[in-house]
Amino acid sequence: MSELFFLPNWPAQADQIPWYAVLLLAALLAGEAASRMRLPRVLGWILAGTALGPSGLDILDLATLGGLNRLLEISVGLILFELGQRVDMHWLRRNPWLLATSLLESSLAFAAIFGVLLMTGSTPLLAATAAAIGIATGPAVVLTLVKQLRSQGQVSERMLAFTSLNNAYAFVLWSVLFAWLHAEYRGGWIEVAAHPLYLIFGSLALAGLLAAVTLALLTALGRRTDAQFVCLIALVVLSVSAASVLKVSVVLTLLAYGTLTRAFDRDRRFVSLDFGRTGQILVMLLFGITAAGLDLSLLPAGAAAAGGLIAARYAGKTLGIFALARPSGLTLRKASLLSLGLMPMSGVALIMARETSASYPELGPALVTVVLSAIVMLELLGPLLAHFAIVRAGEAAEEA
Amino acid sequence: MEDLVFKQAAALTFGVELELQLINTRDCDLTRGATDLLSLIERKPHPGEIKPEITESMIELSTSIHSRHGDLLAELREIRNAVLTGADRLNIGVAGGGAHPFQRWSERKIFENPRFKHLSDLYGYLAKQFTIFGQHVHIGCPSGDEALYLLHSMSRYVPHFIALSAASPYYQGVDTAFDSSRLNSVFAFPLSGRAPFVRRWEEFQAYFARMQGFGIVEDMKDFYWDIRPKPEFGTIEIRVCDTPTTVERAAALAAYAQALARYLLVERPHPLSEDVYHVYSYNRFQACRFGLEGEFADPHTQEKRSLREDILATLDDLAVHARELDAEQPLFDIGNCARTTGNDARWMREIYAKSHSLPDLVWRQAERWRGEEK
Repeated sequence: MSELFFLPNWPAQADQIPWYAVLLLAALLAGEAASRMRLPRVLGWILAGTALGPSGLDILDLATLGGLNRLLEISVGLILFELGQRVDMHWLRRNPWLLATSLLESSLAFAAIFGVLLMTGSTPLLAATAAAIGIATGPAVVLTLVKQLRSQGQVSERMLAFTSLNNAYAFVLWSVLFAWLHAEYRGGWIEVAAHPLYLIFGSLALAGLLAAVTLALLTALGRRTDAQFVCLIALVVLSVSAASVLKVSVVLTLLAYGTLTRAFDRDRRFVSLDFGRTGQILVMLLFGITAAGLDLSLLPAGAAAAGGLIAARYAGKTLGIFALARPSGLTLRKASLLSLGLMPMSGVALIMARETSASYPELGPALVTVVLSAIVMLELLGPLLAHFAIVRAGEAAEEA
Repeated sequence: MEDLVFKQAAALTFGVELELQLINTRDCDLTRGATDLLSLIERKPHPGEIKPEITESMIELSTSIHSRHGDLLAELREIRNAVLTGADRLNIGVAGGGAHPFQRWSERKIFENPRFKHLSDLYGYLAKQFTIFGQHVHIGCPSGDEALYLLHSMSRYVPHFIALSAASPYYQGVDTAFDSSRLNSVFAFPLSGRAPFVRRWEEFQAYFARMQGFGIVEDMKDFYWDIRPKPEFGTIEIRVCDTPTTVERAAALAAYAQALARYLLVERPHPLSEDVYHVYSYNRFQACRFGLEGEFADPHTQEKRSLREDILATLDDLAVHARELDAEQPLFDIGNCARTTGNDARWMREIYAKSHSLPDLVWRQAERWRGEEK
């Protein structure tokens, strides 16, 4: 034994360093730097993650960060719940053109991406699976931007509503196509029909039950922000695992849970939802870790085709928004900004795309490269575009 | 410089302006939506006018000129419905009330327009605190001299309008103990208060020219008086009312003002004198603070009574004029308000006592404005 036993070993072992704290600090600093350049903080968080990850300095040990996966799941759950909570069912009822617009923009985006992927030579089923992912706007980006800019107005409100809806469509559709891909539909068309029905109605039923329980608890707790906060975190965690156990759609369940909690809350027992500083840490880690996993090495090969995919997705969404802008009560200027605001792509899409490519190496490198490159590009571009849309629409609070 | 010519208007015609709150349907705070809402509403023709106000969280609607309460109320309902149709498509709540119960003024955003930018630069935080919501009643006058007579004799009744319309007991999240806290925000402005005691329009023109000469004011809009002449309309404008929580109350208050104007112009019950202003601030404070329970010092008889009693006594004086103007029903409603049901501030405190939630209160204000209240 060394006589200087009390001195630390140097260099320290990687597992002795709390990497998530390093990441958090880097994300914080990068976020502040971005904000001083009048760029979205989210972009700083993402860049910090990329810079520290394998594609950058490679000092972040992704394996140890894997221990945070449960925490990130909670974070995604909270985001989806809050996003759902911002969707007003009464509004959708009073302005039926909103639902029509949402269905149209999602279908057109799906069709456009599907077309581009077919041209890369993939099979229709694979192309459809990937296109389903492309429908969804990134919920974390949209929600975080709206909250940070404290924005209010038609672009912001519709970004939130359409993001909720297109995530719900995307993940139900993806689950069905994914099961198809797995050749799990051995029993024929009955299963093909029953699976989406189970996903949709199972999720909605679970969400309805959760909403009812939540409101009963909130009634008992009274209108106290702190108590409601703790209660909701616990319930959101429970609902994420309940959805996985029941094999319904986690995304749809959480979104509908949020929406129904609001719709059922006739006496407004729910005080305004704010996951506050704790939520902020989780969201920063979510962005940083997701970004750390981005594989930039694909970009040189995939950038061109991915650009085509992004352009097609944008064209599809824009066409859908513009076609029904007037009847839904939106000016064309705001319609053009809203189309940009829907461009961010979901971090969840990355996980799904990677999962798909891991279990299907035969997918063909072309498709994987294109899809992952598109996600990488939109991971950086999406927050910028959505930020631009909100600020240009004049909907951000003055001091933002 | 304008020469401030008083345009003749048909005597006793009247019109109403109402400033309304735009509400977020999620947390019931004020929301910034005026630009979106106005651009949608203006696509289709509608009666009256709907305009932006100083912050993005408010709009102002105004009626055309009327001579009968029934027509005024009908138009107000149509304008309200036009606003609601647009607001429903954009998910914006619309509510009456003199102030938002819990909004933070620092969150407000000044509407993009040179005049509002100028006010914001000049008044700083006062401009944003001016996110308050009033009703203005215009009464047509045949001449500038008549307008000044009506303005000064109407001043005795200013506390009536405050107490009957009061609908801002909550402000910045607390019960202010006032029935109308809104007027306290107006008093902060240097050019608030009352018009100078001059009887002839030439004298008023001279006063205005002097103030303009100092560079203190540019036009009449720079005066925030409780009652102000509006020469380009040929009216006087009573500006002390909080926006009520229903259009029915708004129309009834206008009818009360119209009948009062007829009473004052036809009967000339009180000799015009500056004495009316000796007790003016006291009476006005009582009305803001205590509403209908407030004390009223009568400048003409030097008696003291409650505002409620003074309103009920005034209604007796107005009976014959109400008949002439087809305004018996609204004045009956005003009597009920004074006697039993109370003003909107009382209604708001009752709602809050049940739920202990200011967002819930705002939600109910929006329902009440819609006319759907059970």
